[in-house]
Amino acid sequence: MSDLRRPAKILRYKAPSTESNPTLEDPTPDYMNLLGMIFSMCGLMLKLKWCAWIAVYCSFISFANSRSSEDTKQMMSSFMLSISAVVMSYLQNPQPMSPPW
Amino acid sequence: MRSAYLILIPALLLLLALPVSRGRYNDEFDDGEDLADFDDNDFAEFEDMNDDQAAEAETAPSPRALPSSQPEEDEDEDEATVELEDGMDGFDDSETQDQHMYSNYDQEEFEGIGDMEKPGHSMKDPLIIHTVPAHLQNSWESYYMEILMVTGLLAYIMNYIIGKNKNSRLAQAWFNSHKELLESNFALVGDDGTSKDAVSTGKLNQENEHIYNLWCSGRVCCEGMLIQLKFLKRQDLLNVLARMMRPAGDQVQIKVTLNEEDMDTFVFAVGTKKSMAKLQKEMQDLSEFCGDKPKSGAKYGLPESLSILSEMGEVTDGVMDNKMVHYITNHADKIESIHFSDQFSGPKVMQEEGQPLKLPDTKKSLLFTFNVPGMGNTSPKDMDALLPLMNMVIYSIDKVKKLRLNREGKIKADRNRARVEENFLKQTHAQRQEAAQTRREEKKRAEKERIMAEEDPERQRRLEEAAQRREQKKIEKKQMKMKQIKVKAM
Repeated sequence: MSDLRRPAKILRYKAPSTESNPTLEDPTPDYMNLLGMIFSMCGLMLKLKWCAWIAVYCSFISFANSRSSEDTKQMMSSFMLSISAVVMSYLQNPQPMSPPW
Repeated sequence: MRSAYLILIPALLLLLALPVSRGRYNDEFDDGEDLADFDDNDFAEFEDMNDDQAAEAETAPSPRALPSSQPEEDEDEDEATVELEDGMDGFDDSETQDQHMYSNYDQEEFEGIGDMEKPGHSMKDPLIIHTVPAHLQNSWESYYMEILMVTGLLAYIMNYIIGKNKNSRLAQAWFNSHKELLESNFALVGDDGTSKDAVSTGKLNQENEHIYNLWCSGRVCCEGMLIQLKFLKRQDLLNVLARMMRPAGDQVQIKVTLNEEDMDTFVFAVGTKKSMAKLQKEMQDLSEFCGDKPKSGAKYGLPESLSILSEMGEVTDGVMDNKMVHYITNHADKIESIHFSDQFSGPKVMQEEGQPLKLPDTKKSLLFTFNVPGMGNTSPKDMDALLPLMNMVIYSIDKVKKLRLNREGKIKADRNRARVEENFLKQTHAQRQEAAQTRREEKKRAEKERIMAEEDPERQRRLEEAAQRREQKKIEKKQMKMKQIKVKAM
């Protein structure tokens, strides 16, 4: 069996989907990021504890679904924002959260 | 490692923040409680119930209570309770004594004796102690919602770590079983495009926690092969829960790009019925060249579950030789779709208004989509089952290079392609005309502006004259053309 390899014909790898929109394939991390920020803003402004907790969850989900090409600064900033929303709601009102039912 | 740290730091901060925010609240509340207790004790002696008996008993313990303040308070407490008991007992005794006394007397002489018993009963009514509302209590139990939330977060983090590790193990298992075959066929196995020299990295390129890439190049008959391991999102708990409703499986997608001379002109696809229907709708080349509905694969010896989309019958006969049929029949459960095309340009692009489209760039490609056995519950051992499919891929590459249409087939294929191009041009004709018109107007406007912007009146005049002369020439040319056409028509 002759060797079918041809080192002379090597072509370098070019990341395929940089031209086509990567968000078209999976918009989840971007949506979750946006939701997280909205919820944490609501939690901070309206002093709603459950909003702040949902924001923490959203930022975790966004992190889990993120692409490696996305920079970590965005992730860290949404984490920090949601955690600060939770902490602020509890500092202002230390009573436990009451369930909606 | 980086991602582990990213999770740990915020989680730690969160856990630390909660007790800090609660701490201050605790102290204030505690102080209040103690004060209340003291208050009760101080005023206990002034309650009406113990008035008569307490007055007598108090004088007795008061000289004893002089020595120290702390034991005095305690003694008072004890004495108070003792007094109560004594008082109650005393009261009862006196009451019963009275009752006996009065019963000896004449009933008619005394009225309202029965009424004396009533106050006693009201004293004996049980005290109803209401529970303190949850938000005023000071115990960990009242924070059960928060504890639930934190537990949920911890569960999510645990699932993330477990899912990530499982995906990583599956990818590594796949690579280990296929490494030898790939290295014997390709000069470059594994490249992320960033290193200066074209040296095999020899490992998968991790794009995501659930997507792994591998680029192989340096072989006869093809430019390169991109393998994508698209696993399920095991690292995302939401996805895991969604999959309990809708089962899905891991997929391996392989795309082989070929040189111009490596493939003849044909479009062909085979796969499950569902995937064929979907591809025919979505893919640009399949919708244009394979207009008929997918045919059942049974005609060519394939299982019933598979169907075929082809440009012409000759192509199907050429591709479906015995070995191919053998491969596909044996591994029909793992094959999602196989797509050979010389006009591959990806899925149909949504045309935007007012944008003239050129014909999209095409590339000669072979695309394979395989399902990993296990339907989600895959173990690393299952990856070995995909090795024969990779053999099929290599075989297809060599086969496509050798496959040549005969004369009739070639003529038909060329006609098809010309037809598609013409259709496309017709559709965009109006758009292209508009675009050309706007471009011409833009040019004229730009020139006029330039003339206006010229400060020197001399130069302005000269430029204007030049523009006028150009316009004249154009009009003359058009007139000449019209005359020529008229002459020809005659």
